[in-house]
Amino acid sequence: MRHNDSTRDPQWYKRAIIYELPVKSFYDANDDGIGDFPGLIEKLDYIESLGVTCLWLLPFFPSPLRDDGYDIADYCQIHPSYGTLDDFKRFLDAAHERRLQVVIEFVLNHTSEAHPWFQRARKAPPGSVERDYYVWSDTDTQYGDARIIFVDSERSNWTWDPVAQSYYWHRFFHHQPDLNYDNPAVLQELLRIVDFWLELGVDGFRLDAVPYLVEREGTSCDNLPETHAVLKAIRRHVAERWPHCMLLAEANQWPADVRAYFGDGDECHMAYHFPLMPRMFMGLHLEDRHPIVEIMQQTPAIPDVCQWALFLRNHDELTLEMVNDEERDYMYLAYSADPQARLNLGIRRRLAPLMGNDRRRMELLNSLLFSFPGTPIVYYGDEIGMGDNTYLGDRNGVRTPMQWTSDRNAYFSHADPARLYSPVIMDPIYGYQAVNVESQERDGSSLLQWMKNLIGLRKLFPAFGVGGLEFLHPANRKVLTYVRRHGTDAILCVANLSRSVQPVELDLSAFAGFTPVEMLGYTDFPVVGQQPYFLTLGPYGFYWFELQRRDI
Amino acid sequence: MASTGLSSSGATSEASPAKAVDATPTKGGLVVGLLSYQDADTIGLVTTAVREGLACHFGDLASRIVLVDSGSTDNTAARARDALGGSGDLLELSPPRATVDLLELPYHGIPGKARALHTILATARDLEARACVIFDGNVRTVTPHWIDWLARPVVEHAFDFVSPYYPRHPFEGALTKGLVYPLVRALYGVRLRQPAAAEFACSGRLIDHFLNEDLWERDGAQVGIDLWLATSAASGDFRLGEAALGIRAHHARGEKALDLGTTIAQVVGSLFADLENRAGRWQRMRGSIPVQHFGTSPATAPPQSSSVDVERLIESYRLGYRELRDIWTWVLPPRTIVDLRKLVDGPPAQFRLDDELWARIVYDFALGYRLRVLPRDHLLRSLVPLYSGWLASFILQVRDLSAEAADQRVEDLAAAFEAQKPYLISRWRWPERLRTG
Repeated sequence: MRHNDSTRDPQWYKRAIIYELPVKSFYDANDDGIGDFPGLIEKLDYIESLGVTCLWLLPFFPSPLRDDGYDIADYCQIHPSYGTLDDFKRFLDAAHERRLQVVIEFVLNHTSEAHPWFQRARKAPPGSVERDYYVWSDTDTQYGDARIIFVDSERSNWTWDPVAQSYYWHRFFHHQPDLNYDNPAVLQELLRIVDFWLELGVDGFRLDAVPYLVEREGTSCDNLPETHAVLKAIRRHVAERWPHCMLLAEANQWPADVRAYFGDGDECHMAYHFPLMPRMFMGLHLEDRHPIVEIMQQTPAIPDVCQWALFLRNHDELTLEMVNDEERDYMYLAYSADPQARLNLGIRRRLAPLMGNDRRRMELLNSLLFSFPGTPIVYYGDEIGMGDNTYLGDRNGVRTPMQWTSDRNAYFSHADPARLYSPVIMDPIYGYQAVNVESQERDGSSLLQWMKNLIGLRKLFPAFGVGGLEFLHPANRKVLTYVRRHGTDAILCVANLSRSVQPVELDLSAFAGFTPVEMLGYTDFPVVGQQPYFLTLGPYGFYWFELQRRDI
Repeated sequence: MASTGLSSSGATSEASPAKAVDATPTKGGLVVGLLSYQDADTIGLVTTAVREGLACHFGDLASRIVLVDSGSTDNTAARARDALGGSGDLLELSPPRATVDLLELPYHGIPGKARALHTILATARDLEARACVIFDGNVRTVTPHWIDWLARPVVEHAFDFVSPYYPRHPFEGALTKGLVYPLVRALYGVRLRQPAAAEFACSGRLIDHFLNEDLWERDGAQVGIDLWLATSAASGDFRLGEAALGIRAHHARGEKALDLGTTIAQVVGSLFADLENRAGRWQRMRGSIPVQHFGTSPATAPPQSSSVDVERLIESYRLGYRELRDIWTWVLPPRTIVDLRKLVDGPPAQFRLDDELWARIVYDFALGYRLRVLPRDHLLRSLVPLYSGWLASFILQVRDLSAEAADQRVEDLAAAFEAQKPYLISRWRWPERLRTG
């Protein structure tokens, strides 16, 4: 087996390109209609050829699957639909053989109500250690300042349990009781689980729903100091034994609040930049760079060892929690005229439908994703422009089977179509007969080939992963311009957010004497002088330039 | 590029079991590593030259001679011990063996060479050596001066890597002159004329870097390791030099030389395989710099070891054009195919393959190798007639030139590779399929 790269470079996540996928959706090797680990192993060559360096697997643990696996009933096993622990080990070895890191989910805020801990707790006497694995109350009024997250499906954060004769606390669905971190035994249990997976060889964890670990009366119960103390304890634990292990925080908060999850470099290594994502969509629709520049300027600096995780779309809805009411209204009008596409405070659509299947707009947003400060995450299927099905309920419409070929079931599974865990996308625009991997691998100008090229280019320049960001402020607000710097490397990125050709004059006097080399074609542009540098960009066009000094 | 070696079949180790490195002080000193396999005829000469060289030139430095034998059955290790007069100065180590060493056939070098080299370098690191010099046990022409010329730049002048330069007849080592040197120079920006040599010297700092590199377990390491160490050094922040050692002759380990197709597949394949791992580095290098030269100038030009039939090379090219043109269209653009067509019908005396055209052909094959547009071995073997064409053209141009002028011709070719480097980078970064259907 090849040496696992994460152990060679403890900061591998800063240079990573992450590919997010649900095992159930990728490839079905045993013809039961559900994707599995043997199927995923078969498709690792595809993932490797894409150029990504890390896989983030959505939950694959035993679960009643009432929240697509985020309701875990056993943290140290594999859901039988997806294979066995031995299958997982074979997958892990095969991924590492291809120099792919593997990050798995760690749902530490809550379990399924089917978890043995909860079944034991509800029967245990009040005040016992077992009972206190969860948060109980005689009333449903405690912690009343905490908001309800799933507003479309839950009326309260408390649910009555007739067995325990008590209310239990849950920030998400009522069948997902929150763990009680005021009980030290809970943290010890979870650290054992961390060790279990790290012993097997995983390279990191996505820590689900981290702002909600601890509750205190009179607070929103979000982002409490006690919650940060739990995360710091986890970090200390992994740092001692597994220095290569990366912790990625899911904290859907404003940047200033997310900043705390990095601590002083002693908490999480990475955290999602949630507010950036809707503002990229907003800037594109408004044809104005302001929303993007504004949120990045509000983004605080983070410790050197830390990194933002960036994404355009993922397995959840395009969340609009981190925008104000006016911005949310605008986003709904711009991107989900059909109310069916709305869910909770967000829009349950994939990238291609959000972009109206406009290839240039998809490319432009990806160019931003791959050139902004952070580690980009590509959601499975978005590399070929897969569509969605908003009629499948909850967020299942963006979790449909991967479209491999134009054959039956998109070649995702040989099972009868009725057995598939989800119908494949079949509409005339995004259906598997029009959008699939096979056809795009054979088409040299496909979105898939474009994505491979862009990923390869990004990997050549560490500045994209670790460099600083400086915005330029040309008069034309339809053009977004910024410089990424790392050491002696400087990369100028220019993006036209509008549907029409745009001129722009850039103040590049700080780079007088430099030669901009357009990176995709390795084409020299005129040397920068003291005068404004004039460029024109086609509709939704973008340039990446290496700024080269030729005199050294 | 020499095609030397012996079949490794039937090899069983006669070496002593690996010893723990003893406490003999070598900190800040010199480690000389000898790699051997079935070298009983020459290892005594090499060992003696090393011992005398150390005594004569580095008598004030602590030093160790480390022999790593890859399973000789001809008393190679005993001959080495005898050459030292049983002084006990020889540290004998056995490299870890792996079945894959024997499966990597045809290969006529030292079985498990990468592991053997790793063993020596790891020993040098453990001994905290200031420098390490590597010799192949099959060299016939080694003198005590070699160790001085290789090691002194490291020991006294803070160089990190010193590669040898062996003068050759203009027709010899053509694959190195026509492809390996120009490509390495254009990509990595250093003018090491023979970057895949078996002998070299390196600093303690570079030893640490080598040992941390992810190249020891790569596929093809047995064949590619010499070249990869040179490109590794060239890719880092290290000082590189070149030492002219005089003529190198060696005893052949192989019963017969490898055919050209196999040689090209191994050497060029190793080079291409390395490109992807270092793309982030070589795409930022512009131009090239000469390296400092050490050593001696040859008193006489080396003799030509065999005559070259230019017409046969041209015929090989023509045959290749007829038979392989369809394969080439998978990697070469139409403009190049048209240019190659023009060479088919011309008179042999005027056969010329333009330097820049050759550079673009090599670059397109490198890209085709990366993108796996064809099975890699097939792709590399289809390069053979094109290489024959280039070689015929080269010989026609240099056969009446002095050695210096012939060397200048190689430098001109390397400059063409540098000039065409943007062609490679642009296609590497944003490849488009050359052929559809």
